[in-house]
Amino acid sequence: MFNEMYRGDDIRPEYRLIQDWLNANGPDALNEKRAEAEALFRRVGITFAVYGEGGDPERLIPFDMVPRIFSATEWDRIEAGSIQRAKALNAFLTDIYTERAIVKAGIVPADLIDGNDAYEPVMEGFAPPGGIFSHICGVDLVQVGEGESYVLEDNCRTPSGISYVLENREVMSRMFPELFRSGIVRPVDHYGDMLAEAMASVAPPMCEGEPTLALLTPGHFNSAYYEHTFLADLMGVELVEGPDLFVEDNRVFMRTTQGAQRIDVLYRRLDDAFLDPRCFRPDSMLGVPGIMEAYKNGGVTIVNAPGAGVADDKAIYIYVPEMVKFYLGEEPILPNVPTWRCGKPDEYKYVMENLADLVVKEVHGSGGYGMLIGPKATKAEIEEYAKRIEADPAGFIAQPTLALSTAPTLGADGLVARHVDLRPFVISGRETKLIPGGLTRVALKEGSLVVNSSQGGGVKDTWVLNK
Amino acid sequence: MLSRTANGLFWMSRYVERASNIARLLDAGRRMDNIPNSDEGRASEWESILIASGSHEIYDGDIKNADMESVARHLIFNEDNPSSILCCMKSARENARAMRIAVTREVWDVLNSNWAEMRGKSGRDITGGRLAEFLDWVKNCGFLFQGAVEASMLRDEGRDFITLGMAVERSDATARLIDVKYHVLLPDAQDVGGGLDHMQWVQLLRATNSLRAFRWIYRETVTPQSVVHFLILNKKSPRSIIAAMCDIVEHLESIGGGTPDQRAVCAQAREMLTTLDALSVEQIIGNGLHEWLTRQIADTNVLAGAIAHAYGFNGPELIETQSQSQ
Repeated sequence: MFNEMYRGDDIRPEYRLIQDWLNANGPDALNEKRAEAEALFRRVGITFAVYGEGGDPERLIPFDMVPRIFSATEWDRIEAGSIQRAKALNAFLTDIYTERAIVKAGIVPADLIDGNDAYEPVMEGFAPPGGIFSHICGVDLVQVGEGESYVLEDNCRTPSGISYVLENREVMSRMFPELFRSGIVRPVDHYGDMLAEAMASVAPPMCEGEPTLALLTPGHFNSAYYEHTFLADLMGVELVEGPDLFVEDNRVFMRTTQGAQRIDVLYRRLDDAFLDPRCFRPDSMLGVPGIMEAYKNGGVTIVNAPGAGVADDKAIYIYVPEMVKFYLGEEPILPNVPTWRCGKPDEYKYVMENLADLVVKEVHGSGGYGMLIGPKATKAEIEEYAKRIEADPAGFIAQPTLALSTAPTLGADGLVARHVDLRPFVISGRETKLIPGGLTRVALKEGSLVVNSSQGGGVKDTWVLNK
Repeated sequence: MLSRTANGLFWMSRYVERASNIARLLDAGRRMDNIPNSDEGRASEWESILIASGSHEIYDGDIKNADMESVARHLIFNEDNPSSILCCMKSARENARAMRIAVTREVWDVLNSNWAEMRGKSGRDITGGRLAEFLDWVKNCGFLFQGAVEASMLRDEGRDFITLGMAVERSDATARLIDVKYHVLLPDAQDVGGGLDHMQWVQLLRATNSLRAFRWIYRETVTPQSVVHFLILNKKSPRSIIAAMCDIVEHLESIGGGTPDQRAVCAQAREMLTTLDALSVEQIIGNGLHEWLTRQIADTNVLAGAIAHAYGFNGPELIETQSQSQ
């Protein structure tokens, strides 16, 4: 198993500054800092829940004080691979709502698209400005060895967690100024400018002059509300709710104390289903009646585009490496985890015979629920799960159990090794880019592979070092 | 700025101000309660405090026999009383949370910390001689908020709505506080102008933290006339009704009137200020202090309604109805 702090018995150079700090100050100092950091998080009211996990909307995620560190070389690969993936996914989304060349080429079966819950027929034939569906795309990665990573899943819909990336850094730089002073850690605080710039670059055809941006939130009862306020604040744009907005002559306006003001690009943190009661769920009080028509007529740009969730499906995930080849003519930089589709007879047979060694997931599942982790399951659990697969083979995929990397994490008596993953956030507008870093989630329970916050996961600051 | 945001800022500020003013009311009651009352005359200060707070109708008990502890509990911890200090702090924080982007981190920090601390308080913190200290703490929470607003917020429209909310609430609260004196019964009609009457006026000044300021300005013994002048007509007195009215006019003008309704509300406020400015203490007291205060409270309420209407607080789609029980 790959412990990211070590190469063989030696501490990797990237982690030497952490070890030096610990040698100089001792683990107790780190524990004290942890209490201080938690008080800080609580005071500014940073609360967070990863998309779709529910739970107390005002809970704090445990924060681990030991940063996760990437060398410049490691990061170059992750960066290039994530950008490549986001480009391919955007090309795919544009394609499936228009030409469907990838279906015609016999690569992706049509039923995986038409049968997908996230597919929005209303988007058919429509090309969003710049050909971008997923302006903010989270690519979830795991590592198994030095420079050896796999993509676990893609989040093209509405990936959350970026506020934690930036707030973690803010807290770390307050706690450990001496570690940042050397300038060895690459900064992440230009995320707001990067996002605002990307949003402005996809202004709708009707927009003249400087586009007005806004962020649409379901409101302060939403679990990710803190992140919505954080992002609006970061970009210096209005944080609006559905009832603040109305549509007139294919333009979207917000109600202000000085009358109606036009919005050109709307970053919505609201699910497709609630976006427009005239188009999706008629009972939605959170959306804006008529916004889809305005969107399709070029009066406003919606970020991320409705229907982008098709690409998040685990059955579609399997085809992403082929998308990279098909649309970009490139070899995939970041590989998928090898995946067996239980819907295919020969692969089904292999999965059923090897359940004890595999991880099995529901095709439409998320949040780490409804999974079978073969090596950790009892015989009875495996038999139970086998029955579920038997009943609906196409609803499941299986993957080998990866020896996930661990990162040093603060335990009661010093550093312990805990499993981690990484979500970089790729921004697509006129250009496709990302900040050096991302959300590192850590499974705080010993041996656990589940990093989701609802199941004992925490977060870490992610450092990318300068060359 | 979004109309919803303006509404949220206005109410956030009103709730903070209301919490402090409920503390001042309680402080006035506590001080009057402490005045040695040698006569057998019925002590009625707690009844009058309840009436002045505007929440006597939901007081759970016999209002005639209300005492310090029960009134304090009602006005501090009662979750069913939207004007209790607990509810005010909660509502202020909720409004700030809903308008998180429109307030600075410093302002949010104050409201969030105050609320967290308030949640940890219990009956133990207001009994056994600890009430005065608790009330000081509540007032300090208000001062911290004002300091954070003053020192960290942009001086733009958002700030104007915050000051507007504060001024509307303060004008209302000062009128109610003076009215306490009307409801407190003196043992005998002949006691008007006597020692007890005098002591009560003094305690009223103390509760508004303004006895020293009063002496500095008037350099004379406390009389009902001078207190009325100080708390209603003196522009130098920070909690006077006319000072609040000046703030209202100034900030309405600063926001500016783009629509006929907005210009009308500005004119309405200006007219209220002009009327106040021309008034004398004799005119106020001559026609009945209580009657004047009642009318002033009603007029301020009408003005607040007109502001809400002019700036679209209640929008075509009302998102949230704020408690207006006072």
